[in-house]
Amino acid sequence: MNTDAIITMIIITGIVWGGLVFLVVYAMRKEKDKTRE
Amino acid sequence: MMIAMLGMAVGTGNIWRFPRIAATNGGGSFLIPWIIFLFIWSIPLIITEFALGKAMRQGPVGAFQRLIGKKYAWMGAWVAFTATAIMFYYSVVTGWCLRFVVASVTGAIPGSKPGAFWLSYEGSLSSVLTHGSAILIATFVVFRGVKGIEKASRVLIPSLVVLLIVLAIRAVTLPGAERGLNFLFTPDWNALADVQVWLQALTQNAWDTGAGWGLIVTYAVYMRVHEDTTLNAFILGFGNNSISLLAGITVLCTIFSIQPDAASSIVGAGNNGLTFIWIPQLFKQIPAGQVFMVIFFLALLFAALTSLISMVELVTRALVDRGLNRKRAIVTVGLAGFVFGLPSALSPDFFTNQDAVWGIGLMVSGLFFSLAAIKYGLERFRNSFINPSGDILIGKGWNVMMYVVMVEAVILLVWWLSQTISDNGLWDSLNPWSSWSLGTVIVQWSIVLACLIIFNPYLVSNKSPRTTDEH
Repeated sequence: MNTDAIITMIIITGIVWGGLVFLVVYAMRKEKDKTRE
Repeated sequence: MMIAMLGMAVGTGNIWRFPRIAATNGGGSFLIPWIIFLFIWSIPLIITEFALGKAMRQGPVGAFQRLIGKKYAWMGAWVAFTATAIMFYYSVVTGWCLRFVVASVTGAIPGSKPGAFWLSYEGSLSSVLTHGSAILIATFVVFRGVKGIEKASRVLIPSLVVLLIVLAIRAVTLPGAERGLNFLFTPDWNALADVQVWLQALTQNAWDTGAGWGLIVTYAVYMRVHEDTTLNAFILGFGNNSISLLAGITVLCTIFSIQPDAASSIVGAGNNGLTFIWIPQLFKQIPAGQVFMVIFFLALLFAALTSLISMVELVTRALVDRGLNRKRAIVTVGLAGFVFGLPSALSPDFFTNQDAVWGIGLMVSGLFFSLAAIKYGLERFRNSFINPSGDILIGKGWNVMMYVVMVEAVILLVWWLSQTISDNGLWDSLNPWSSWSLGTVIVQWSIVLACLIIFNPYLVSNKSPRTTDEH
């Protein structure tokens, strides 16, 4: 793979997949806090 | 509710349309505007739609009418019409999924020559039959209730995601797969000066996430008052784009592994069947591929069906809001869906035309949502409809985003108009009979807009909306 493709792939997948993982973890923690209350 | 919405949004838009549009528009150059539009188009609009549906408890036509007044009901009707026009050919795509389930069971795919089965099927009478079956199933489900489909979707949509992950891993480990990754991720900065890339990136992001379709408004009608809309909006946006990216990597790595010089043949129009042609070839490369292929197409069929069902529900809801009996409304939608989907089932050119015209129509729908929120008062909208039910409070950034959405739509429309005319000349650009031209878009949009504005008084409903937390 060329360098441009590697950099773009890291940025795009990092934003999209990283963002999704962050949101799912955040939502689960929020749900857990709610059930604890 | 969230699973139902993901079912609505995760569909063929991610698996069939994204790889095709990304490939057609140059791969890497397309991804940059596509990701930008997730933040400055789709997510702000999804938040708006959730809030609007929950607050107004009516479909798009009634919601616009209640928000900004009776004389603007036509704006909501445009949103509903665009989703309806997409439904006409979406039913054809759902039919394709149905045909590929059968073909994978009978072993008709994968053939020795990629694309042979697709070419014998696209635009044939068999395509009409599967289109009719798809709209019949969707109408029947809306008629009888969505419980069975919801249960099946709970299993099949996660299995589709798992299968897609497995397929993506296999695809990137194929010999020569890096050519596909290079194609998908290498940006050609010069291509960013082409309005088509931006236009298609916005349209595809709206297709992926369901932003501006009015479907989220319809779903939000049934949401509990205290359900968090902001977090849901973010998860919906990111979840959908994640699936699209996975599908793009899978399809393009497979294509470039089997056909190293594919770049010249997949860039440009006429690649409606990209996913349907190449995914079966990938299943050839994995153990028990035939079994997994049946599961894949079955899951894809269910993903497509859940989206089609939500479109049938949206149109039905709009007719019921206008006072039509629900049963009659469903039958009307089913019949109209079959009849108006026929040209797309029979003619790939007509299909391409409708996908282009109403895909970009979503941009106008998004523009109308932003205008409605601006007219109502952004501060008032945010404080009354968005923030009261959210765990995450939305700040003034959303107000700014609504203006950004409006400016984006106007700039893209003007840029597209001027670039098309300067590239192709005035008369060629305005040819309304071309499968893809400025003229065909202007003529079809103008006819629909004129009808909706003229008949606006008949669109207005005096029915009271649901005001209680019924579901």
